[in-house]
Amino acid sequence: MTSIPQQSLDFLKASAPFDQLSTERLMALARHITVAYLTSENAAQILADRDNNLFLISSGQFTVKDSNEVEQNLSEGDFFGVGNLLNKLNHAIDIKVDSAGLLYCLPAAQFDSLCNENPAVAKFFETYHSDQLYNDAVADSKSMWLYKPISEVISDTVISSDTDTSILRATQQMSEASISSLLITEGDKLVGILTDRDIRNRVVSKEVSVHLPVSEVMTKEPFKITENRTLFDALCMMTEHNIHHLPVIDRITHTPLGMLTSSDMIRHQRGNILFLIDELAKAKNLYELTRLSWQLPHYFAKHAKRLGDFDVAGKVLSQATDIMTRKLLTFFQQQNGNPPFDFCWLVYGSQAREDQNMGSDQDNGLLLERRPNQQEDEYFAQMSQYVCEGLGKCGIKLCDGNIMASNPELRLSVEDAINESEKWVKEPTLDAILHFNIFLDVRAVAGNKDLFTALQAARKPLLKQPLFLSALARQAADVAVPLSVFQKFVFQKGHQPEDCIDLKVNAIAIINNLVRIYALAKGLEMPSTIGRLDNLKEESQLTESDGNDLRDIWLFLNRLRWRHQLQNSVTNNYVSISDLSSIQRHQLKAAFKTIKRSQQGVSMKFAGG
Amino acid sequence: MWQTLKNWFLPKFTIPAHFRHLPWQQIPFLAIDLELTSLDAKESNILSIGWVEGKQSSIALASCYYQVIATKASLNQSPVIHGLLDEHIAQGEPVKVALEKLRHYAESHVWVFHNTNLDMSVLNKVFLKLGMPLEDIVTLDTLQLALYQIRKSESVPAPNAATLTSCRQRHNLPLAPAHNALDDAVATMELLFAQLSQLDSKGREPLSALTGTGALKVFKGTVRPQRINP
Repeated sequence: MTSIPQQSLDFLKASAPFDQLSTERLMALARHITVAYLTSENAAQILADRDNNLFLISSGQFTVKDSNEVEQNLSEGDFFGVGNLLNKLNHAIDIKVDSAGLLYCLPAAQFDSLCNENPAVAKFFETYHSDQLYNDAVADSKSMWLYKPISEVISDTVISSDTDTSILRATQQMSEASISSLLITEGDKLVGILTDRDIRNRVVSKEVSVHLPVSEVMTKEPFKITENRTLFDALCMMTEHNIHHLPVIDRITHTPLGMLTSSDMIRHQRGNILFLIDELAKAKNLYELTRLSWQLPHYFAKHAKRLGDFDVAGKVLSQATDIMTRKLLTFFQQQNGNPPFDFCWLVYGSQAREDQNMGSDQDNGLLLERRPNQQEDEYFAQMSQYVCEGLGKCGIKLCDGNIMASNPELRLSVEDAINESEKWVKEPTLDAILHFNIFLDVRAVAGNKDLFTALQAARKPLLKQPLFLSALARQAADVAVPLSVFQKFVFQKGHQPEDCIDLKVNAIAIINNLVRIYALAKGLEMPSTIGRLDNLKEESQLTESDGNDLRDIWLFLNRLRWRHQLQNSVTNNYVSISDLSSIQRHQLKAAFKTIKRSQQGVSMKFAGG
Repeated sequence: MWQTLKNWFLPKFTIPAHFRHLPWQQIPFLAIDLELTSLDAKESNILSIGWVEGKQSSIALASCYYQVIATKASLNQSPVIHGLLDEHIAQGEPVKVALEKLRHYAESHVWVFHNTNLDMSVLNKVFLKLGMPLEDIVTLDTLQLALYQIRKSESVPAPNAATLTSCRQRHNLPLAPAHNALDDAVATMELLFAQLSQLDSKGREPLSALTGTGALKVFKGTVRPQRINP
């Protein structure tokens, strides 16, 4: 009897897109596979013997040119020959064996039938060489509310009328319940709905008698949805058919369970997390504020079920931190009286970019109307101390690097702040840049925002200067993505588990740095990376498609990081590769390659100066 | 009776004619692994057997064979090592069914083992007991090839340096789950390709080039009288 060795099954199962196949299908597929040990001497012969195969590397390192594109350095888990198979081409495959190893070879016939029967596999290979992969990863991105099942959001009471109810009675029923639409049933089944619009268009304007049965004027056979679907499905249906009322029915009995309206959708969109934020804003004292703040991680852990849910998490957390800051400032002033003169509370780094995560520490500073005397400074020092410590109690870590308003160096008058920026721009040493990067993402959170506007206006021309941008560009090119020449992941040294990658330092921060340079060059003022990318679409040195790629990658990396933190209840950024699905590993590699290309792009465009 | 030719410097002519001049890349190999109830060949029974064919540095997965053997013998420590339980064994085939199939490879393939002596002694015993006649069998031992390569480089092999897993690691072959007969057979075949490629990258040398390694052995069959020179 034919049997397939476990090691081959394990390997295939760990290789996207085969991870999607059932074990039976995988066994059937494996029967057509040959495993070859490729060396410099026999590689050409082995490939020549296998016209149009799909090749999957199990071990070893190879330099391959399998299309008109540039040659690639490939290793474990990489495919080649895909282009030939998809486009029915016969491009000769040039291969150089850098280190001998095992190659899995699947004949074209099996590849074709697999693609025909499984669209997801076909899609994988069609986009294997393009940037679409992470677009896919982001395509399922919707904020968390959309993925709630409808059953969770509709109310328990069903308001309905029978078909022979008079129009008058039905309308009264609607007024009493303050609803804009009514479910109309016959027996237990839904046969129609009566909406405000029906009453306007089919009753009042046509002068129809209100004593007629409601079945005469109702919308018959309305679009409906079953309760097990998601709000997202409902939204799609409502948008597609341009309807504002969508009856919900039981998927088995078809009895009506309720009605979803467009105003429900709006309410849910703002639901949940905003509720928590509302509560934060209502907190009356430090105790209430900290108690509510500590619920935030639980909220994320509970409600963020799909990767895409994390896209809004950073923004939500930053908004929450903003509110905490404002509350704390209010508490302080309630106890200590008004400030001697105007100030503006600035936030830097991740809070400014609105991409905070569970591990982000606080970065903030004070911008003052003028230079304070000793007594005035004492007030601001105490206020800053109170707010920073308060944020710490709310779970926003104190900053290790002392980038906090409680640090006197970060309480500057507008004039001093402008002078300082000039100094930075004139002498952009690498050390200064490293230090300065964080201050380039800045946002005003509380106090007199005119002070901040004045600072921004004065800094804008300074930060555009080529010499300064070129220093930034050189620094942005300095950190490498964790990929070896052979496209293998390079793991963080001396870290447990061993297969960890620092997604922040080695990926997300690089994108932030690159996008910042384009944004400064264009004179954009918003601090968020995604916001900058949205505004770089026109009249910038970043092409729209490159911008979209960076945006998708950024979202993807951010999701992996959030999931890592929430699933493992940690606040670091060391994501373990073994925690990723094989398709995610693949996407991660593709993402790193794109980041590397973008670094080169920035170097070419800016670093010359 | 079978006899092992203890002479490591095997005379060229004892290699059967159809293999004698073939470059190793052209030779059909069969990597075999047995899971046994004991490491003592005399009292050991076969629990399961797995094999795979290989030629030109390639393995067709369709040629994989795996069979659990129905045996009444005590399992001793084997369930711990091989994961084979009594219920698996009960569903197994009689050893004769598997060996009938294996016999067909006697003349056509060079048999490859990781430690030829143990597995061949057991096979020898069982074939004899079942009264099944056999051709001459040419065998290659990846364990001996490994020891040969280690001695050549480091002179004294470290303990455990010649286990299938550590041999594969030295050749940067991927980790494979050990102790299933089929997995070990495939792992052995991959290791053989790696070893032979290292010894002769062009793949042109015939088997006789391996006589000095101690890995090549010819077991004389029981079918016809031993022929010295065909």
